[in-house]
Amino acid sequence: MEKQSAFNIHPMDQFIIDPILTGDSLEWYSFTNQALWMLISLVSIAFVFIYGSRKHQLVPGRLQSIAELLYFFIRDMIIDIAGQEGLRYFPYIFTLFILILFGNVLGLLPYSFTYTSHIAVTGFLALSVFITVTIIGFVKNGLGFLSLFWISSAPLALRPILLIIEVISYFVRPVSHSIRLAGNMMAGHAVIKVFAGFAGALGLGAIAPIFAITAVYGLEMLVVVIQAYVFTILTCVYLNDALHPGH
Amino acid sequence: MASNSDNSAVGMPQLDFSTFPNQIFWLVVFCVVLFAIVKFFIIPRMEDIFANRRKIIDGNIAKAEEIRLRVSEIERQIEEDLQKAKSQCDEIMNASGNNIKEQMALALEDSKIATTQLISEAEGRLKELRDGSEAAIEKISKELASEIISKISKGK
Repeated sequence: MEKQSAFNIHPMDQFIIDPILTGDSLEWYSFTNQALWMLISLVSIAFVFIYGSRKHQLVPGRLQSIAELLYFFIRDMIIDIAGQEGLRYFPYIFTLFILILFGNVLGLLPYSFTYTSHIAVTGFLALSVFITVTIIGFVKNGLGFLSLFWISSAPLALRPILLIIEVISYFVRPVSHSIRLAGNMMAGHAVIKVFAGFAGALGLGAIAPIFAITAVYGLEMLVVVIQAYVFTILTCVYLNDALHPGH
Repeated sequence: MASNSDNSAVGMPQLDFSTFPNQIFWLVVFCVVLFAIVKFFIIPRMEDIFANRRKIIDGNIAKAEEIRLRVSEIERQIEEDLQKAKSQCDEIMNASGNNIKEQMALALEDSKIATTQLISEAEGRLKELRDGSEAAIEKISKELASEIISKISKGK
């Protein structure tokens, strides 16, 4: 149906999981374009954080500055939100942050694959955050963790209603957490692809779509970083809830 | 998988659940490797860089503190020297003042002695003169008396 339309635009094609080594059949172990871009992201992270700061410079160079900036940004964020105790979980949160950040940023390269645009990936990450945080909450506070849902600062009559709202909002967390990220990534890329399709169809008159692509691309540069930040800061907030459920 | 064969997505590829096991498998592999890199390479390196920087900054602060202490020590020394010089100056001034007073007293004494000597000398001379004049008066009066007597006696 799409092939017969005037504009041959397939904005969702860029999200197709494609096994690139094993032909057409997709098994659970097939090396796909997604796995390739995870590998590229891994190499980029190693480049920035390991190669970039190999000299342990006292006054950092460019790459080391980036590495230090990201590192201490997340570190300070955890301390600000979850307190000194939260620093124990710094390796996990930092891993999560650079995984999403590099996935998002690399996804902006033409012909790249954005693994964070897939709900399976973000859903898995959000669910693991949700489960981990819940376990931490119960291990640290025992049943006291349930006081998170019983708002003792509210009037007594309101508390049962708030309890229901709080429980629902607690269980909706992984859903909103994952869909926010995947939705943002998918939407931006799809919009760029749609404009690119216009540009292709218009030929020489493609100034307007190209201008639009440039504008959306600029916006996306902002969005990819902000979404990585939002995912991480929400993780910190959830962690803080688990560590200090009383308030 | 149907989406792969005709090379065009039907609906959202994100909701093609047949790809989920594959995606999650590679994501888990990716996460584990990345976590290992973060834990064993990135964090030790960053902490090392930060600790080094901290050490150098602390060293510089300690050095500055040391220099500050030395400066205050030198200031104290200067103050002390100044005090010492002042007291020495006072001492010298006092000593010279005393010396002058002493010498003045001595000179005064000398002049007193000289004066009393002169006075007594003058008194002696005066007395001599007075004595001399008394004798002269007596002599003259004696001569005068005898002359008067002879004159009186002659007139008779």
